[in-house]
Amino acid sequence: MSFNPLEQRGIPLDRQLRNWRELNVAPIDPDHCDPYTRCRIITMNGIEVEAIMFSHQMARHCPDLAVKQQLARTRYIEAQQQKAVNWLLPGVSSVLETTIAYEQVAVDLTAWVARMEPDSYLQQAYQFGVLEDFDHLYRYANLYEIIEHRKAEKIVDGLTEVMPGRPTPLHHRAPVDNVREPYDKNTVNPLSRLHALTIMSAEQQTMNFYMNTGPTYMEPIARQLYQEIGLIEEEHVTHYESLVDPGESWWEQLVHHEYNECYLYHSFMQQESDPKVKAIWELHLNMELEHLHIAADLMRRYDGREAAEVCAPSLPNVLTFEPNKGYLRELIANQLDLTTLGTGYVREAHERFEAMQEAIHGGEPAPSDQVLAQHDAMIGGDYRLETEGEHPVPELRSAK
Amino acid sequence: MTEQAEQSDAPPIDDNDVVALLMRQHGEIRNLFDQVETTTGEERKDAFRRLVRMLAVHETAEEEVVHPFARKAFGDAGQVVADRLEEERLAKEKLSALEDMGTEDAAFLPALLELRTDVMEHARSEERYEFAHLRRSTDPERLVTMAKAVRAAEAMAPTHPHPGVESGAKNMALGPVAAVMDRTRDAVRKAMGKDGGKA
Repeated sequence: MSFNPLEQRGIPLDRQLRNWRELNVAPIDPDHCDPYTRCRIITMNGIEVEAIMFSHQMARHCPDLAVKQQLARTRYIEAQQQKAVNWLLPGVSSVLETTIAYEQVAVDLTAWVARMEPDSYLQQAYQFGVLEDFDHLYRYANLYEIIEHRKAEKIVDGLTEVMPGRPTPLHHRAPVDNVREPYDKNTVNPLSRLHALTIMSAEQQTMNFYMNTGPTYMEPIARQLYQEIGLIEEEHVTHYESLVDPGESWWEQLVHHEYNECYLYHSFMQQESDPKVKAIWELHLNMELEHLHIAADLMRRYDGREAAEVCAPSLPNVLTFEPNKGYLRELIANQLDLTTLGTGYVREAHERFEAMQEAIHGGEPAPSDQVLAQHDAMIGGDYRLETEGEHPVPELRSAK
Repeated sequence: MTEQAEQSDAPPIDDNDVVALLMRQHGEIRNLFDQVETTTGEERKDAFRRLVRMLAVHETAEEEVVHPFARKAFGDAGQVVADRLEEERLAKEKLSALEDMGTEDAAFLPALLELRTDVMEHARSEERYEFAHLRRSTDPERLVTMAKAVRAAEAMAPTHPHPGVESGAKNMALGPVAAVMDRTRDAVRKAMGKDGGKA
């Protein structure tokens, strides 16, 4: 079923404003919801946050008052969308529970994108990154059991495995080695563009979340772990944002942002199991179609080009939250010892990497290792959820 | 690239931290709710019995150890405590209604879910509004005493089934919830008293 968002009309912008009653959404039940419903909420929050911040940046670079006013009108609606989406998360969840859900998003969203990505260089970037998010999930799951005496399987519900990935202490690379080469805007597959924007936005929101919620913890180990993983999220944002061709004009970037929002709301509407949440995806899709039209009009007027010249004529296959266990196990078996050098990947620990490692760890165990040691001392062993058999790497199997 | 974990000599999370203990009990209560929801028949009956006992012990410990202290320490922030006590009273009512109903009743599960929501909200409120104050304003010695009292209470509530004990004479010996609460209160007071609870 082909769907061309450029040819659809949504709700007129002046009818998109919601009052307090309409914004007051009922949150999901953290103990009985579909974990992928929570993943879709977290993903769309990241997408809306990026939409808002991109629009602010554009306005700050824009001398034309009328354009700034138009950006402000759409942006206010996007800010309402972000509120409606993120307020679906329940107040009874702890920060750590939400964190584990963020990492489940990072794992299953990135793994799905890696599987579907047509360009091999971009695919490698997602494969590289997902093995790190996978390990973050494992470390936070151990912290969760220490602090709340709950197992992360209550959150991920067996859809995502929890076990070691690329060891977190080894994620700290020299900053220059986090910058990748961009795709070429003239030859890139339109799907690749949507993938890059989606993963960049999701990781950026994760970075924002950890940098702001980390210090709300009182437990020293929790504070330290959020600091460490928060800095790795900075590396991930650098990694993914550098995939996007910076040669795209502001107008074109705005169109891609709106197009991607249509793509994702459309995708999630197809899969959503919670009817109340589904209604929000549907409503927001109908709002985004109009935002896309407005962006396309701006591009036509100021860039002299049609959105159809840079966008796909129909939405790609729906982006899907589903288990990626087999795929991840394969990546773990083959790519765990990769690191980056310049804009590429290598298997040896090179000089710049070693220097960074030495400087940041200062000869002591990283918080991400301390959390495992504390778990071992307090509860015994480490927390894992291996639903598909033992760990694919013999050295990383639990010592029993 | 895999040498990690084990080598850290960091101390384990402090078992003398009363807040950490209570937070872990909140997790344990949630685990027990899961068990009741996902089992049937005799298994559910057993799980529910453990949940009831755990809730009774946990709330009694909080009433004896945490709330009085919080009330004294925060002065007019006493309203925070009053709110929590009212939530606890309502939860107890719902709990005894569930007990009277029995696990086989068709209305049991919906009522259990309602109680679960109340208990969760109550627990998070404690963590955010009361425990935060506790950590900020309490001297370490006092926290150690409180932790001992909470551990003494915890000993009254086995969280895992003990075959042959659960349904047999031992269970009868533990008696109804009210008796469990009484004995928890005694254990807590003894622990507080012996270790300078009056300080």
